[in-house]
Amino acid sequence: MNFTKHLAWIAGGLALLLAITFALPPGKARGFDVAGYGNLPILEGGRVKPLDSVARNALLVIHSRQGFRHEGRNIGPDEWVLDLMYRPNVADAQPIFVIDDLEVLGLIGAKQTKNRNYFSFNELGPHLDEIQKQAANAQAVTPQKRTRFQSAIANLFDRVFLYYRLRNTLQLAGSPGLAWELQSLGAADAAPRHADLTQLAHFRILPPLAGAPPEAWQSIGQALTAAGTGGPLHPGLAPMAKLNAAYVANNPAAFNTALAEMKTLVNGLKPDALGHANREVVYNRAQPFFAGMIIFLAAFLAVCVSWAWKPEFLRPTAFGLLFAGTIVQTLGLFFRIILQGRPPVTNLYSSAVFVGWGIVVLGLIIEKMYRNGFGTATASLFGFASLIVAQHLGESGDTMEMMRAVLDSNFWLATHVVTITIGYSGTFLAGAIAIAYALRKHIITVPDPETDRALSDMAFGIICFALFFSFVGTVLGGIWADQSWGRFWGWDPKENGALLIVLWNAIILHARLAGYVRDRGIMVMAIFGNVITALSWFGVNMLGVGLHSYGFMDQAFWALLGFCTSQAVLMGICWAPARFWEPRPGARA
Amino acid sequence: MIKTYASRFWSLLKSFQVTIVMLALLMCLVLLCTLAQVEMGTAGAVNAYMRSFIVWGDFSLVPFRVPVFPGGALVGLILACNLTAKTLDMKRTWAKAGLWVVHLGLIVLFAGEFVAGMMQVDTNLSIEVGQTVNYVSSYKSMELAVIDVTDPSWDDVHSVPETMLSRGGVITLPGTPVTLSVKKFFPNAELSNLPAGQTSLATAGVGPGVLVVERPTATTDNEVNQVSAFVEVLAGGRSLGVWLVSNALGAPQGFVHEGRAYTLSMRLLRQYLPYAFTLKQFRHDVYPGTDIPKNFSSLIQVVNPSRKESREVLIFMNQPLRYEGKTFYQASFGKNDTLSVLSVVENPGWLLPYVSCVLVSIGLLVHFAIVLRRSLKRRQEKLEG
Repeated sequence: MNFTKHLAWIAGGLALLLAITFALPPGKARGFDVAGYGNLPILEGGRVKPLDSVARNALLVIHSRQGFRHEGRNIGPDEWVLDLMYRPNVADAQPIFVIDDLEVLGLIGAKQTKNRNYFSFNELGPHLDEIQKQAANAQAVTPQKRTRFQSAIANLFDRVFLYYRLRNTLQLAGSPGLAWELQSLGAADAAPRHADLTQLAHFRILPPLAGAPPEAWQSIGQALTAAGTGGPLHPGLAPMAKLNAAYVANNPAAFNTALAEMKTLVNGLKPDALGHANREVVYNRAQPFFAGMIIFLAAFLAVCVSWAWKPEFLRPTAFGLLFAGTIVQTLGLFFRIILQGRPPVTNLYSSAVFVGWGIVVLGLIIEKMYRNGFGTATASLFGFASLIVAQHLGESGDTMEMMRAVLDSNFWLATHVVTITIGYSGTFLAGAIAIAYALRKHIITVPDPETDRALSDMAFGIICFALFFSFVGTVLGGIWADQSWGRFWGWDPKENGALLIVLWNAIILHARLAGYVRDRGIMVMAIFGNVITALSWFGVNMLGVGLHSYGFMDQAFWALLGFCTSQAVLMGICWAPARFWEPRPGARA
Repeated sequence: MIKTYASRFWSLLKSFQVTIVMLALLMCLVLLCTLAQVEMGTAGAVNAYMRSFIVWGDFSLVPFRVPVFPGGALVGLILACNLTAKTLDMKRTWAKAGLWVVHLGLIVLFAGEFVAGMMQVDTNLSIEVGQTVNYVSSYKSMELAVIDVTDPSWDDVHSVPETMLSRGGVITLPGTPVTLSVKKFFPNAELSNLPAGQTSLATAGVGPGVLVVERPTATTDNEVNQVSAFVEVLAGGRSLGVWLVSNALGAPQGFVHEGRAYTLSMRLLRQYLPYAFTLKQFRHDVYPGTDIPKNFSSLIQVVNPSRKESREVLIFMNQPLRYEGKTFYQASFGKNDTLSVLSVVENPGWLLPYVSCVLVSIGLLVHFAIVLRRSLKRRQEKLEG
């Protein structure tokens, strides 16, 4: 039938269209071109990025989401940050601080309610001294040894402090604004205000002047200090003052004109910064990995339903969706590579995205080869799961932070890190196929040796693939270590983790070669491969020792434990005695 | 009879059982070693688990150490033998050529790790801007240095390593009239002011005012033992007094004998080099507006009279200097960015992993190519048949 043939294309095309709608620019908020303001390039965290990125990451850290609803309107990150910087009295009333920890709630005298607990800065105001005092105690303890309360209070303090810094970046909160600062440059009390602004500024918005070094961006405070001490007046201060005044006076037309003026000025001083910022804003808005996550979930549901109902329609649909999701994710990775000027994997967040990408690409290939739906099912589920992991890892702020000195080597990031991450993908996909095999054996009633054979071939092929990449990746890592630390192998926890994956995959292959295990044994071992990979990927970071402990995290411990337990259960299911596998004699066949 | 034992041993040696059991044991060891690092530090855990033949356990129930697990060296050795036997036993056909090369590469890798484990020497070189240094220091081991400082332009250094001091007895210093007699040695000690009414073994220098209490030796990577000893200095047939020496004491102590001035100090064990490094510049760059380090680099003038060489070298992250069998790499810094610490590694087998990497990669590619060709052929036959 012609229609089914095209179904995969139609489903994939629709999913892509959906993903593109994410990237469309939002309309004006109350007539203000807030999105245009978010496009302005600034310097923060060591790199030039759009203000939009700062706003999104700050809101994500403070609120756990990139937007919220307040007084019947959806407020996006750009509008929120504008209110915070220019109209703090408005922003301070918006309940955006999430507090889940019961003890912290108790500290500020609130009760746990059914929904998440959101508080405004005004509500936290009376408790700020207490929060600061408790956080100072907590911060004296090393992160690994903090109690739950200590972690939560230190985290709340960090968020309040971030909020406070943003609030005092462009003008001191409560002061009449930048125009007034410019008029009273020479006043006796101006200098300390400028110093405060310089110290609190979260980002630097004024591009370097002609002739200054390329990284010499200035914050408003720095520019005011320079002007106040007899230096030249930065030309960006005037349009910034107009923007400030227009926003406070609720005059959208004047705001939009001043914004155009500011953009012309930025273009004159730093010709490529605006274009670069624009690209990053498109990436921010598109949220390709979020879109990919939704598409993978749809693909997984479609393939699951296909086993019970209308397989001829749903299987191609699922494949089309998986393909579309892979395109979206690939584009997202490309965007990151271009924006950062670095290979795809630079931190834990991007490693999760890349592991997911490796899994779905391998899954697509397998599905194309075997056409039985298992490639689609396992790849979409594990692709979805890895993007969920990435989503959580991304909540800690900017996911494109600068690389520390020792990691600053594009060659090794492109070879060692990418190969080893592909090795993770392979091991996980083999494990996923093994899980599918185990569950299927218990669900279906009619023996189907042909599919069993196919699944076992798939798992074996992928384990070989994973062994190759994890071995080469590990040895390349050793060579990098020899280049930068003078020793090939130092038994560092992360190195040991990689070695464990290599050893485990080698054991599986040798056990199969020697005939000690058959299909089922290999599948049990492949599921255990998931545990080993998860431990060496995340577990070793939790030890907090060694040269690779840059990705430290404590909250994920329970998630990891849960994952390992679930894999153990699945191994049990896979290992369950034969009478569970075959339909019992006498039972209805 | 002997022949059957030998052949049985041979078939055991090359069996897959041994491979799998050893790989599994190695996995356990790697896991234990990783977990132990939290308590023991990396060096301690590696020595206990990976670089030993037997892992020993201390139990309070029995007075002696109990072997609890085969150590990394033993497992590695058996695995290497198994690998060699297996490789020799493999059919020498072209179909197996790839696997042959892979396993050969693995043998080289094992050999490399053995060489590193047995022969690698880790030291470091701390150097301040403008300073010239011609020695590397150990991280932990100490030496007692007796230096003839009479000539202001030339120091005549005589040193006694910690291990020799710990054996006690009388130590002669060849080329000097001085002889040392170790009265008491502490592998690790805590020094404090001597309370009134107590007396010290020491009779000269700062020793008589110091109380020395023995402490258990350090276990983690970051701790350094405070090695201390009471040493009697004998010269010309008479005693010049008993001195307390310890790396916990600050300035060197001195004595004079027959018009020559000597200093006495416990310091990190030094190895003098036939060349010298001068630090001309140290840079610590950060990303603008942050304190995230972007780069560390040391500009070094290398002066080597034996090679008539004097040149500048820039050592920075991921770019070490390999010179005369030693590798110098940027490791740390201090003193407000005026002190640069270079880690120094001497490993004669450093090239082996590179060889292994190339061999294994080629081997795997060859093997995959062979397998691919075979399966294509089979598919072709199927189509034709």
